[in-house]
Amino acid sequence: MNRNREGEELLRVPIHMKLQYRFPAGAHYERFFRELKKNGKIMGVRCPECERVLVPPRPVCGECFTRTDEWVEVGPKGTVVAHTSIYFPFIDGSTGKPRPIPYGAGLIQLDGAYSAINHILEEGDPDKLHVGMRVEAVLKEEREGNIGDILYFKTVEE
Amino acid sequence: MGKKVAIIGTGQTNHCSSREDLNEMELVYEAASAALRDAEMTIAEIDAVVLANMELFEGRALHDMWCGEGGGAFMKHSFKISTGGTSGTSGAISGYYHAASGLFDRVMVVGFEKHSDGNTSAGMALTDPFWDRHVAAAAIGNFALSVSEYMADRGVTQEQSAKVAVKARRNACNNPHAHLQMPDLTVKEVLESPVLAYPVHRLEMCPQSDGACAIIFASEEIAKKRCPRPAWVRAAVTRHDHIYLGEVKNRLATMRSLREAARVAYETVGIREPLKEFDVAEIYDPLTYAEIAWYEALGFCKDGEGGRLIDDGITQMDGELPVNPSGGVISTNPVGASGTIRVAEAALQIHGRGGKRQIPDVNLALATGYGVYCWSDVVILSSRPD
Ligand SMILES: [Zn+2]
Repeated sequence: MNRNREGEELLRVPIHMKLQYRFPAGAHYERFFRELKKNGKIMGVRCPECERVLVPPRPVCGECFTRTDEWVEVGPKGTVVAHTSIYFPFIDGSTGKPRPIPYGAGLIQLDGAYSAINHILEEGDPDKLHVGMRVEAVLKEEREGNIGDILYFKTVEE
Repeated sequence: MGKKVAIIGTGQTNHCSSREDLNEMELVYEAASAALRDAEMTIAEIDAVVLANMELFEGRALHDMWCGEGGGAFMKHSFKISTGGTSGTSGAISGYYHAASGLFDRVMVVGFEKHSDGNTSAGMALTDPFWDRHVAAAAIGNFALSVSEYMADRGVTQEQSAKVAVKARRNACNNPHAHLQMPDLTVKEVLESPVLAYPVHRLEMCPQSDGACAIIFASEEIAKKRCPRPAWVRAAVTRHDHIYLGEVKNRLATMRSLREAARVAYETVGIREPLKEFDVAEIYDPLTYAEIAWYEALGFCKDGEGGRLIDDGITQMDGELPVNPSGGVISTNPVGASGTIRVAEAALQIHGRGGKRQIPDVNLALATGYGVYCWSDVVILSSRPD
């Protein structure tokens, strides 16, 4: 399939692009990331109707179609509700580069939150990960105001 | 209630990992031409064209512009549908809506994807810039997360998952369009293939394929005149769930978008015992564990019994309800076309044109779509218009 009928190698048009984007965070993410950066706190918002505490914070509860504006601190400890260990070099969407493997990833339900968040787990060995295990967020020292300020979640004994 | 509409023709490319002999527009043209031949129609007879594609996987925008002419859309009413993995089924549902509205009599839908042109991992990474880009681990990682929840909750085993892979790749051998045809695949080989994201092995995941699939919908009068055995659309339902993975509790086990879409579709058609009443099902199985979870969500069995269905061979070619005689998405996955293929394969079974993968006497067929974190489409086709 790599040659045409005349036996010549098929033509391909190579494109290499470097693109840059800047996304305004919006009022809710603005507050979330500022709290994380300045005070090292993870915040959620409670829906006034269904009372679910949503993390990441959403300006509108999808289920109730209602504005959310009651802020509550959640975590930094939480429970692993799902986990995996990644052995395939996926592209990190924030850098465009493959993330070093292997690493652990999990859905973590922070204490006080309804929704779980997906994030990196310090523990990458599948034999040491299980649903229901307790973890705690480890934050960067010099925080920048983005989700990378949470480095990963470490296993804690309770 | 819409007007009666049937599928009277389908066409597919021979899907594979890389069609370097043509570009995407030519791929679309190949499927559209095949569907027109199958329906014994000319492009002049088509009065609306719906295109379905998962955007950005090929690194190109405006697929309706670059590929529309390949689908015969020039100077016709035309729309593009792009809803992630459900693009192909949602495109088919849109085609049905066009015809069921009574405003269009002959509608062609073309789903397509040319994975080899681009970088799927990059496409998957171009999601929510605030959270998901940093922490999501593409489709496989996200699935692997859900699998750990599902296994813990329902006790599904790795062997049961591997059996789904074996069934799919063996069925694919009867389908000349299928990408991964593996007649001798064993459970052991599946479980010895590399782990991509624990506990998911490479051979438990769908491939990335180049391919296109076209379907022709027709109004009642035309369908009866032009097709000896039309596949009547009896229900078409789509449901979307939340945007973040963590907001959906135990999603493989609950899969409420699929449960809700199925509930509404079954109610529309009057289906009470899906396992008994459907003659065949073509379900969107992005990985083996999902197929088992969908058995439960679609009511083929009680919750927690999905693994037994595969153990007992209920969903094999000669079982009570054959699931994915085509080989399914696990064998062939040109994403924007994958849903269209499900609907086309279900229609093909009713048309009686399934060749070696034909199930005898199909009167009621189910097709489903799956996309993004938990979006679902359900389509029910019948040999009877009502
Ligand atoms: Zn609410």
